[in-house]
Amino acid sequence: MTTFLTFTILGLVLGSVYAIAASGLVLTYNTSGIFNFAHGAQAMLGTFLYWQLTYGWGWPMWLSLVVVVGVVGPAMGAILHALIMKGLRDTADVTKIVVTVAILLGMLYLSQWIWHPEEARIMEMFFGSGAKIEFAGVVIRVHEIICLVVAAAIAVGLRLLFTRSRVGVVMRGAVDDPDLLRRCGHNPDRVAALSWAMGSTLAVLAGVLITPIGGGALEANALTLLVIDAFAAAMFGRLRSIPRTFVGAMVLGMTATYVMAYFPTDWTWSGNFRVSLPMIILFVVLIVLPQDRLRGAAIRTRERYRVPTVRKAAVWGAVLVAVVFLLTLLMEETSVTTFALGMTFAIIALSLTVLTGYAGELNLAPLSFGAVATIVAFHFGVSGTGLAARLTLWGILLAVLVTAVVGGLVALPALRLRGLYLALATMAFGVFLSTMVLRDTVEHTLFGRTFSIFPNGTLIVPPLKIGPLDLRDPETFLLTATALFSLIAVGLVALRGSGYGRRLAAMKDSPAAAAMLGQNLVKLKFGVFMISAAIAGLGGVLMASASGSVAGENFAVMASLGLVMLTVVGGIGYISGALFGGLMSGVGFTIMVGTFNDLAAATPAMETIYKSLGQLAMVATALIGMGVGKNPSGTVHDIIEGYRSLRKARPVLIGGAVAEAVLYVLTLTGVIGNWWFAILSACLGMMLPVFGKMIMPEAVLSEEELARRRSTPLELEGIDEPYTEELRRRLDRELGLPSGVDRAPRVPAPRAAEEGDVHVVA
Amino acid sequence: MSLLETRGITVRFGGNTAVDDVSIGVDEGRITGLIGPNGAGKTTLFNTVTGLQKPASGRVLLDGADITRLAPARRAHLGMARTFQRLELFLSLSVRDNVRVAGDILRANTRHRVDVDKETDRVLSRTGLGDIAHLEMSDVPTGRARVVEVARALMTSPRVLLLDEPASGQTEQETEDFAGLLAGLAAEGLAICLVEHDLPLVMKLCSTIHVLDYGAVIASGTPKEIQESPEVIAAYIGTEEVTA
Repeated sequence: MTTFLTFTILGLVLGSVYAIAASGLVLTYNTSGIFNFAHGAQAMLGTFLYWQLTYGWGWPMWLSLVVVVGVVGPAMGAILHALIMKGLRDTADVTKIVVTVAILLGMLYLSQWIWHPEEARIMEMFFGSGAKIEFAGVVIRVHEIICLVVAAAIAVGLRLLFTRSRVGVVMRGAVDDPDLLRRCGHNPDRVAALSWAMGSTLAVLAGVLITPIGGGALEANALTLLVIDAFAAAMFGRLRSIPRTFVGAMVLGMTATYVMAYFPTDWTWSGNFRVSLPMIILFVVLIVLPQDRLRGAAIRTRERYRVPTVRKAAVWGAVLVAVVFLLTLLMEETSVTTFALGMTFAIIALSLTVLTGYAGELNLAPLSFGAVATIVAFHFGVSGTGLAARLTLWGILLAVLVTAVVGGLVALPALRLRGLYLALATMAFGVFLSTMVLRDTVEHTLFGRTFSIFPNGTLIVPPLKIGPLDLRDPETFLLTATALFSLIAVGLVALRGSGYGRRLAAMKDSPAAAAMLGQNLVKLKFGVFMISAAIAGLGGVLMASASGSVAGENFAVMASLGLVMLTVVGGIGYISGALFGGLMSGVGFTIMVGTFNDLAAATPAMETIYKSLGQLAMVATALIGMGVGKNPSGTVHDIIEGYRSLRKARPVLIGGAVAEAVLYVLTLTGVIGNWWFAILSACLGMMLPVFGKMIMPEAVLSEEELARRRSTPLELEGIDEPYTEELRRRLDRELGLPSGVDRAPRVPAPRAAEEGDVHVVA
Repeated sequence: MSLLETRGITVRFGGNTAVDDVSIGVDEGRITGLIGPNGAGKTTLFNTVTGLQKPASGRVLLDGADITRLAPARRAHLGMARTFQRLELFLSLSVRDNVRVAGDILRANTRHRVDVDKETDRVLSRTGLGDIAHLEMSDVPTGRARVVEVARALMTSPRVLLLDEPASGQTEQETEDFAGLLAGLAAEGLAICLVEHDLPLVMKLCSTIHVLDYGAVIASGTPKEIQESPEVIAAYIGTEEVTA
């Protein structure tokens, strides 16, 4: 009985911290319409800062608390709102989600930069773990009492805020109709800023409270994923109701402690199960939630994508393969291997192009589906042993098939609901897979078979062999992966141009209208999610095989988030956006950080600077991601628009091609190094549209742009120069007035003026 | 019995009764008007009839069959189509593809086999959209965009068409062409229900008009009867004067 009571109280304590975190999440979501994936990251950053002040610099506890919870928390929220969130109005849900994901990653990279992740940091409970009281045989620590009291105070406080205060009532209206609020004399921006400040403070508070409960070890990733626990709790209230969110948090907290108390400890997966519990509960809640009401979209979002024809896509696919072939002639074998790895990431990114770019749904854990396929291929798709081991074609096909089915099953509960739920469900699946499946490294026996899903924590995945095509050679691997990328890409473009693709676009643009035309939305989403999961699976197996051996971390949800973010940065509606996102997240940043580390090792005097630059590069990626709000169509879109304008400027294009060819030949003959080739090519590619505008403005610029450049706009004529007859004739011409006819009197007639004078004199 | 009927439909939002015990019918080959001040519950009634909104009580009947519990897509398969007051067009598709995708949806979701391309051309020329078919949807002005919504609805070969303020944002000429189109469609046997603020248009086209105020039907009848009804003048035109 005492055990039961003890664990019930522990559960309530854990639940109260979840409740604090979750209520902050619900608060910001309801006042700004943005679901903050960085909520846990904010908690993490605040907690690390608290640790730094109290343990690093020895400040008194109360002072650190005041600074972190009272100043940094609200300031962080207000700054986020002012700099980023405010600019997200009129963007698609996908853009909103990706921006907060970018903030999450940015905060994570930042914390890893400041606080080295391999150092151990411990946070004590408030008043120490020795401070406790005993009640009916149950020991409760003071820290735990604080958690309960704080949560209760917040519950009461929020209740009063929303029901009794004017600001609270305005907050409830803010997301439904900001324009109406404005007309009623309120400022929706100020309300949103306030809610972001409050939400961020609650996150920080939850982080500071939860760390000592969980053993006291401060760990950036774990705290960042607090957002999932908070989300699972918030699901009980459909992300709307704060009282129900509190109930959900308590259920979550108590289930977790009961599992700890009553599950047999000799089950190897009990520990993993407890960690995965929020994700499991989340899926259960998803299944029982009633279907969303369809609402009209009625917002004109800013994202725009051009769709190429299949023929054009095929030509570009062939060009890509040719370019990659030419590049392999320049590269060393290790670079080819790295490049090949990047190309497999690009294939995984294609799964996002079809799902997000075409259908408007989001998968935040594409690599986890890659993991599923890799596990299947490892167990059932390898023939031969040792160096002769090869992946078989049938193995890959089986892996892809299984992944598609798993994808369908994961997505199904969320498909009846809005896109946000699917995004969260996939992220939860990713974390679940990492904490439960990929940690299943010890052998156990089930139904008379001894196995482990992820033996010893590493899977050795051999290269693929289909008939005479053996991918052992890195160059063959790279070219095959590139050709495969191009093939899938052309397939996707063909899909987009078909009736199926049009139906996806219809669903993305207006689910309500698509449904009213007779489209079964769940069926369509289900199908496209399976296609997407299958592509991610294929890319995942190839990725594993390109690496040779993979560990659980290769499929971590943070890596998935990076891939999603960079693909959106590149342009989620474009094939080339997937190429950009895949190459950058797969290898681009590894190369950048690696290069800086090499430089640091080579020049010890500059070590700190180079190392910082490497870290800065990581944070910079996240900054680019946050910029998606400003440019939601992606980088590729801008480049394509730039080159579209060059269509008529043949000489510029030919000149560019010749310059690039010269660079290539110079590199091939060893006159310039590969790095110079890469840098100069990038410069050339970026600058060509600019050159075009400078050299051949008539061919490149649009009519309006040219007219604007040629002359001062009509309404500004005569302001900074004397007003001449010539100008007047031009005005007449532009206004379509009959020329030559001298119209009505120019100035008040002289006679009238005279009369006036006379009058005054008289 | 009318082709489309509502029987005692009531919709509540919290404590507000948005639609209060409404029973109306929409007949084949006729245009039925639904008018009333802003906030009278016209769009909510449309949403309930099309399945986007669940009623607190009441039933919706299509050709005598109870469809109150059916999903919007199922209603579409049974021959119901609508347009939206706040345009719900597919902005990443061209005008032609906006219309064509309705045929794609029909083919993929029902056993109905149409030649989508041919049908698209027919509907585009019928609705007079041929000249802008190649444009991107985001470049089409509101007045024509409303016609695109009607064309898209026609692609599903509906039996009953619900139009939510289709003439708002149209120029005088566009409205006139539009009136001709609607009259022609009704003459071919389509049942049309028209929510519209352009009263002269409603009076010209409709054979029956229902007036909604605070969620309830306060008058029904021919245009002439409606124009002379003292309740309508008091409630409808009266409130307009007050707010103006």
